[in-house]
Amino acid sequence: MVLERFRLDGKAVIVTGGGRGLGRRMAVALAEAGADVAVAARTVPELEETAAAVRAAGRRCLVVPTDVRDSRQVDALVERTVAEFGRLDVFVANAGALGAAGSKAPVDVTDEEWADSLATNLGNAFYSARAALRVMLPQGSGVIITVASGTALRGFAQGFVYGAAKAGIIALTKSLAVMYARQGIRANCIVPGFVAQMDEPGPMEQEFLLSRGRYIPVGRVGRAAELGPLAVFLASDASSYVTGETFVIDGGGLADGVAPVGYAPAWEPGRQA
Amino acid sequence: MTAFELAGKRALVVGAEGQAGRAIGLALAEAGADVALVAATADPAAAFALRRLGGQVEALGRRSLTQATDVTSSQGAQVMVRQVAKELGGLDVLVNAAGLYLGKPFEKVSDAEWARVLGLNLNATFFTCRAAVREMLRGEGGRIVNVVSLLALRGLSHSAAYCAAQAAVVNLSRALALEYAGRGIRVNCIVHGWLEGMPGAGEAAAENPLVRFIPMRRLGRAAELGPLAVYLASDAADYLTGQTYAVDGGVLQHL
Repeated sequence: MVLERFRLDGKAVIVTGGGRGLGRRMAVALAEAGADVAVAARTVPELEETAAAVRAAGRRCLVVPTDVRDSRQVDALVERTVAEFGRLDVFVANAGALGAAGSKAPVDVTDEEWADSLATNLGNAFYSARAALRVMLPQGSGVIITVASGTALRGFAQGFVYGAAKAGIIALTKSLAVMYARQGIRANCIVPGFVAQMDEPGPMEQEFLLSRGRYIPVGRVGRAAELGPLAVFLASDASSYVTGETFVIDGGGLADGVAPVGYAPAWEPGRQA
Repeated sequence: MTAFELAGKRALVVGAEGQAGRAIGLALAEAGADVALVAATADPAAAFALRRLGGQVEALGRRSLTQATDVTSSQGAQVMVRQVAKELGGLDVLVNAAGLYLGKPFEKVSDAEWARVLGLNLNATFFTCRAAVREMLRGEGGRIVNVVSLLALRGLSHSAAYCAAQAAVVNLSRALALEYAGRGIRVNCIVHGWLEGMPGAGEAAAENPLVRFIPMRRLGRAAELGPLAVYLASDAADYLTGQTYAVDGGVLQHL
């Protein structure tokens, strides 16, 4: 039966950036589909909140404080997960942030800021995939899910290093898919459009989200919880013939011929966004 | 998996006589939808073959309708969709899975062949989408899933008419997604790769020369399209629209 194909019973999953927003909601959705989950991020109290939600779904949860910019910590995350759960079936490399380059103009970005933003996004995805493959290849199966951004597919004036790194994640994912398809490993990338990170936005955030939503074809910003079913689809046997693919979930923005999210590309050289 | 359940949804699958349509029709029913299964040509043999599938849907405890309609006719498609919506009590999901491949050197393609390929791949999609949108606008919106081949996104010798028509379906879908996003209708494409039993795909065996170019080193199975169709048809996919999602074993992604 088709709904059984979405089940993840007995699977072990890692979600980085699992302390909040999309990562938390993906972790919980994967647990609800039957998986035990290791959640990684830097902030322990946030991870504990995710863990409580995973355990409320009746699954085991391992909290692993991790700075994903450090490959040794990512390796240790995988080792601890395998020690605890005995296997690793799905790695969701969700962690990411603007990084030190922020929204600076190219001429103002230092070498260090460039390196930090790449490490925070592209670097961590590579470390995650490498550590995961070391377990998945001998196992003969596994799923790698990366998370990029609409900024990977279109020019983005408010964080060009982030966009470049995220585009790198898409290319990395495609190559991983092609290299390991025969070894039973699938790799796919989720491209979230404008999605509210917080579960319960405050009044000011609420107003911002409503104003952003007007520029998105479906008339609203996405909800973090909407990433859950997509993660479950990609993590499970429901997507058994899907690999190397980029799954855009953006309320129709990128399909729009004129104003994907309502921003005109107004940026002048030398001026900070 | 309650997020993906389709209980209470009323679905129409056009092209249900083909293997993709058959697999998707069955998957929608397994997920809980009532399903109208329509063969895309008014061929009595196709209608007969559909009855067995209809029986499978009913064995799952779902309602089914089966019929054969020439959906390359505007009126045929309109009347069929209206009738399906009337009998099922509304229409929530439309899947267009009909297609017609023509393999022929471009300079030898006749006007009639061009018209036939555009007719079933593109015009029929336009007619059924238009009729379905009219029904969905009466309710609270709906889901349209147009199933196309990887040749919608890439070229192939001796396949120009098919490539053009399939690509047109992708951009038709994008435009519809934008036009009806504010009224609760979501429109996406599933791009399928080389499937077992597909004309031109050859044998499933590993000696099949085509398989060398598929990273997964095997042809896809039509049943592997079902879960994605279920997801796109479900309430869980409300933030997904205007996109193409490939189920292709990675064939579109390698250099």
